[in-house]
Amino acid sequence: MFKKGVLRELFDSLFGKSWPMWVGGILLAMMNILLFVIKYPWGSSSGYTNIGQNLFQILGVTSLGTKVPISLHAVALLNIFVVVGAFVSSLFSREFGIRISPVGELVKGFVGGALMAIGATVGAGCTTGGFFTGLAALSGGALTLAAGFMIGTFVALRYLLWEMEALPNISMGKSFTFLIGTGKKTGWQRWLGWIMIAVVFFLFSTYTASSSGAMKIIGWHVMIGLILGMILQRSRYCIVRAFREPFMTGEATAPVAIILSILVSLVGFTVIKYFGVGNAGELATCAIEMKAVYANFWLRALIGGIIFGLGMTVAGGCAVGTLWRAGEGHVKLWMAALGFVIMAPVSKGFIVPAVKKILPESMQKHLFLPDILGYTGAVVLVLFILLLWFMFAKWNEKTGKFSAI
Amino acid sequence: MQADQNLDCKGLSCPMPIIKLAKTIKKMNSGEVLEMLGTDPGSKTDVPAWCEKTGNVFLEQSEEGGTYKFYIKKK
Repeated sequence: MFKKGVLRELFDSLFGKSWPMWVGGILLAMMNILLFVIKYPWGSSSGYTNIGQNLFQILGVTSLGTKVPISLHAVALLNIFVVVGAFVSSLFSREFGIRISPVGELVKGFVGGALMAIGATVGAGCTTGGFFTGLAALSGGALTLAAGFMIGTFVALRYLLWEMEALPNISMGKSFTFLIGTGKKTGWQRWLGWIMIAVVFFLFSTYTASSSGAMKIIGWHVMIGLILGMILQRSRYCIVRAFREPFMTGEATAPVAIILSILVSLVGFTVIKYFGVGNAGELATCAIEMKAVYANFWLRALIGGIIFGLGMTVAGGCAVGTLWRAGEGHVKLWMAALGFVIMAPVSKGFIVPAVKKILPESMQKHLFLPDILGYTGAVVLVLFILLLWFMFAKWNEKTGKFSAI
Repeated sequence: MQADQNLDCKGLSCPMPIIKLAKTIKKMNSGEVLEMLGTDPGSKTDVPAWCEKTGNVFLEQSEEGGTYKFYIKKK
């Protein structure tokens, strides 16, 4: 039926070369719309928090623990299977390898992760749930969160440049690599990839075989997590870059990819919210409208965004960027994930209540833009901001006015 | 290929290799060649893209045992 080797050709075209980041952006947006239809659109930090709470529960620190196991927490599972998807994809593309960076970098990973945890819990959202998903979901807080990311990223990038001059030893020293996918006797790595896919299909069928709707939803998060992880790794989709590149190299590739991704999500999300699609039996339309409007407008999200921006730039990956790079084998990002997981419950337990108390109510509310601007006004505002961002990124790419290197 | 300067970025992940690359190139003379080593798969696309953006000449790229080797000539 087929000429010999067409499947191999297909495999090689998917895993032979990286995909353009904008291709990843469009595909991720489509997956995000699917997640919204299933239950909630894409978020990541609440999954980290749940994993951390389970860790504290096991360690006996029940005040920071939870009764919801990871196996029943859709976002925690989504995170875990993003790592699995990126792992599989890096095995297939022969890009997997355990890469241990110098100790100073590992510490930066951990500190960056911990800062991201504080930022995400204070601001109520990370670059994915709070901003990428949030802006497409017409959340006002997403805008102040983004302003915070920009400030945090700018400051942290200045720090990295200073560190390079003043403390070059931090990023120097012994590094190790293991289990690299290229070279002889590495054929087992691709087989391991197929085994992981088989395991995911088995888990998916186990969850979806349940008569409970909640379990079916979790099953789909397992499957979509795998797909997201593969898309992320192949396209090296990176929201940190979207904020950092204009100030660093001046390239506009990442901002353009993320803008396109938000545009596609915006269309899907607005239709879902406008018509109140999904879960209609359980939720009123207004409840669906408020989905993904997490980030606390305005000052709380701004503060959270700044702290998160600092963390993601120092770690070299946002919440989701950390996951896929961890799957590819970067131990610095394993440390970032660990810092995030440990700090998130601590911040939720101690820092967030204090911030909530200090800030007036008017500086930390959930703002759904159509409530003040109507649907048309809200969509036009988001489109206008995306256009401004695009123009800035392209102009800066040409002139290099804001780029440091 | 003969290099005038070497840069070891093994074990480092984004954005450190590009920051180090930019810093090293800045201190080199026009026409000199830099040999850069790295293990981050992202460098495969980031290094040529940075060269194109900055006008430096991307000469060659190879890979052995998970270590990527790049040759860049300063403009």
